[in-house]
Amino acid sequence: MNRRLEERRAYHARYKQTVKTRGKPFFPYAMFHDTVMSLLVVCLIVALAVIWKYTANEGTGEHDSGWLGKLYDEKADPGTTNFVPRPDWYFYFLFYLLRIFKWPDSVILGTVGIPTVALLLLLALPFIDIGRERRPMRRPVAMTAAVLTIITMGVLTYKGATAKEPLAAENLVLVPKWAAKQGFAGNQTAVDGAKIFAQVGCMNCHTYLGAGTSNLGAPDLSKIGKTSNRGVAGFATYVSDPSKFGNNVMPQFKDLGADNLRKLGTFLQSSGTCSPKTDTCPAAGGQ
Amino acid sequence: MANKPQGRSHQLLQILLYPLNWLEERTSLPGRSGIVGGIKYFLFRKVPSDISWGHTLGSAALTAFIVQAVTGVILAMYYKPDPNSAYESIRHITDDLWAGWLVRGMHRWGASVFIILLFLHMGRVFLYGAYKYPRELNWIIGVLILVLGMMEGFFGYLLPWDQTAYWATVVGVNLQATGPFVGPFLGDVLRGGSEIGPDTLARFYSLHMLVIPGALAALIGLHLWLVVRIGVSSPPWSPTEAGRPEPGPPPAPRKGLVAPAPRNGLAAPVSRGARRR
Repeated sequence: MNRRLEERRAYHARYKQTVKTRGKPFFPYAMFHDTVMSLLVVCLIVALAVIWKYTANEGTGEHDSGWLGKLYDEKADPGTTNFVPRPDWYFYFLFYLLRIFKWPDSVILGTVGIPTVALLLLLALPFIDIGRERRPMRRPVAMTAAVLTIITMGVLTYKGATAKEPLAAENLVLVPKWAAKQGFAGNQTAVDGAKIFAQVGCMNCHTYLGAGTSNLGAPDLSKIGKTSNRGVAGFATYVSDPSKFGNNVMPQFKDLGADNLRKLGTFLQSSGTCSPKTDTCPAAGGQ
Repeated sequence: MANKPQGRSHQLLQILLYPLNWLEERTSLPGRSGIVGGIKYFLFRKVPSDISWGHTLGSAALTAFIVQAVTGVILAMYYKPDPNSAYESIRHITDDLWAGWLVRGMHRWGASVFIILLFLHMGRVFLYGAYKYPRELNWIIGVLILVLGMMEGFFGYLLPWDQTAYWATVVGVNLQATGPFVGPFLGDVLRGGSEIGPDTLARFYSLHMLVIPGALAALIGLHLWLVVRIGVSSPPWSPTEAGRPEPGPPPAPRKGLVAPAPRNGLAAPVSRGARRR
């Protein structure tokens, strides 16, 4: 142990000696490189701002986006629920982790577990990799770990960037198919509920019979009436304010109103409990 | 008579140097240099002869941070951290103010450039094995700077108060609230209540422009202080790597090329680069 410390100290003493006798002064040599690089950085930032401004139209619509996105989005409206929760690009890797881990069993791995472990490993790096060797070719473990980390981060960021949330109009055309497949076509309340489900943003996080996007750890709802079986009123209460049931990730939907929530509840209770053959939904108050 | 011009230029130099000497005397301890000596040391300290463009990523990130600070100060003069006027103030900055779009655009894209440069800088340090003894502490400070930099991005994202910002923040804060033990408490503290509203915006604004930038500036100062004190590491594959035990005699031909007296400050490094080839 002591020998290692002595070796390290000797290395640093040699370093200081070499720099002192054979080094170059920071000014002007290193400072020249730094100045050129800093100027490039400022030019890059200005160029991005100019490209952003001059390729975009003034406005908040889909077609007003330039090469680098819109100048501004619509004003925040806490009343709308058809939102796409999209962070800035450098959080895409975390964002995509939540498509891998599902609520409620393993979502905590994506939100807290993996990021915390990764951060601790990063902080502890100098205490894990304690060898004196600095040449990359002679640090195979460290370099392999680094390359794997870069690939993982890159893939997660790319997947997060290209993940698409379905449009409400695209979901709406699926409602008759759902009704036929699940057997609630005869229950108008459930069909109305399915239309609400398709439009108000549920499918930005939930999947249903293969449609929608799995985001933020939200589960698939194709059989939710069977697996969760809260009843029509139970589902309505849950969706109205999920935080009362310990779900703090899903936003509140109480703005939909009691009538819409009842329809939504009927649809959810019908999912997986109706009989497609006889077209009856005993649990959801259907025929 | 003959040395009169010399005396005059000497006098002139004394007048020019007077403020510097004044400052030095009032910031130094006996036998220790003060602020002027410190700056002189910073500028003329020796660095390994083989460092090059790879070592500019840190100062490039610092430049991006300064751009963020300057544009941020200007934006703060016009931005209103209130849900009723935040969005309108951003539109006012972008549409009405002279070069307002440029300042906002630079702040917005400067954030991404800052984060990218932090990652590149970290990658360079990793590749060079420069986090090893005696630079472990500076690696840790660097990781903290990266985390704080990303938190700046998170808290700044809400400020335009548009749909994307609002809903991303709703979800982001809710996700933090899933954490064990402190999670729900942290969520309430960030929101300033159970819902995202005026208190949340004011809180995020304060964190984004006072608390985190202050912490970042302090950590960056500490980071730089350690860089100057310990010194930057040579590229590990360099034949003249500083600190490597030398098996034979030092490579003679490089001597004399390493640090020629700077006659023309800018021309010297260029010619050095050409000679290396």
